[in-house]
Amino acid sequence: MAVSFASRCSRVGRSLMGGLGNNFCNLPSTSSEMTCGSFLSQQQRTFIQMRTVLKVVDNSGAKKVMCIQALKGKKGARLGDTIIASVKEAMPNGKVKKGKVVYGVVVRAAMQRGRCDGSEVKFDDNAVVLVDKQGQPIGTRVFGPVPHELRQKKHVKILTLAGHIA
Amino acid sequence: MWAALRSRYLHPSATSLPSSSLINRPWKLGFLGLNQTFSSSSAESSSKELLSLQEVEKVLSDVRADDVTVIPVGNQCDWADFMVIATGRSSWHVKNIAQALIYKVKQKQKGAKRLVLPSVQGQETGKWIVVDSGRVIVHALDEKARTYYNLEKLWTVKTVQKEPVEDLTKAFVKVRRINNSKKPAQRSA
Repeated sequence: MAVSFASRCSRVGRSLMGGLGNNFCNLPSTSSEMTCGSFLSQQQRTFIQMRTVLKVVDNSGAKKVMCIQALKGKKGARLGDTIIASVKEAMPNGKVKKGKVVYGVVVRAAMQRGRCDGSEVKFDDNAVVLVDKQGQPIGTRVFGPVPHELRQKKHVKILTLAGHIA
Repeated sequence: MWAALRSRYLHPSATSLPSSSLINRPWKLGFLGLNQTFSSSSAESSSKELLSLQEVEKVLSDVRADDVTVIPVGNQCDWADFMVIATGRSSWHVKNIAQALIYKVKQKQKGAKRLVLPSVQGQETGKWIVVDSGRVIVHALDEKARTYYNLEKLWTVKTVQKEPVEDLTKAFVKVRRINNSKKPAQRSA
């Protein structure tokens, strides 16, 4: 599981604008072919919306949930947003069972999220921490890295339960 | 400024304080003693943060919160320096603890043009309220939530968990298996 922090200048490289043509001319010919290839192999990650399957990274008992509604945002949920999800896969003895409708906070998203200093954060997977309607986490521990954005979004409780903060 | 305070805090002096019997840790008393000597010389240190550790403890003792625990997490995480965990006897008591802390911040900032309030999460339910004031984070829980989440175990065990990783590098040493079979050795025959 990797976290990648991309600065804004490397992100712009995905769109071949006229201004960047200068940079490519300066590079030797073999490496410019490589950069073109890496641009084509990069996926365009998007929001977490209905039918998105997310991993559950706390010890509440659920393993996979499917998003049924993103609470804020017309296009979908991003890092730090709350979603309504249905539990698709669960551990046999856990606090939540399969088929239950739960709320969740997105703690890792494959779509990049910009930070105030200009850098961007993105993770390798989509992960969620289950909460109840009032925002109390259902589980007692959170696994894997969680980003700093949760503090701004008023999810300090999840930050205190987490072990590693990206 | 903070760096200077922190380095001095790491070498606590055993000063005895007549204050609260709620906390009995030697490093705690040492830090408080040093803080008192510093506060007279530099008045800006307390105004940088919304709430300092001393004020938090005073408010908690005024509100009569049970089982106040202070955990220094400055070495484990970089977004907070101290975590204060307090228990309330009922949900109303927990809400009252949060309200008292906010009131203290408002009092501290009296006369300023704009009030900077700490962010409070969980105010509607009285189960777990977090007051986030910069470097000091106060958790007000009721007893059931405290045993359920077990925050002290989480934050005091973290430092221990990092050490076993170093032993793993020594663990990759090839060891010959002990031959416990009852058969006589074939080479002797």
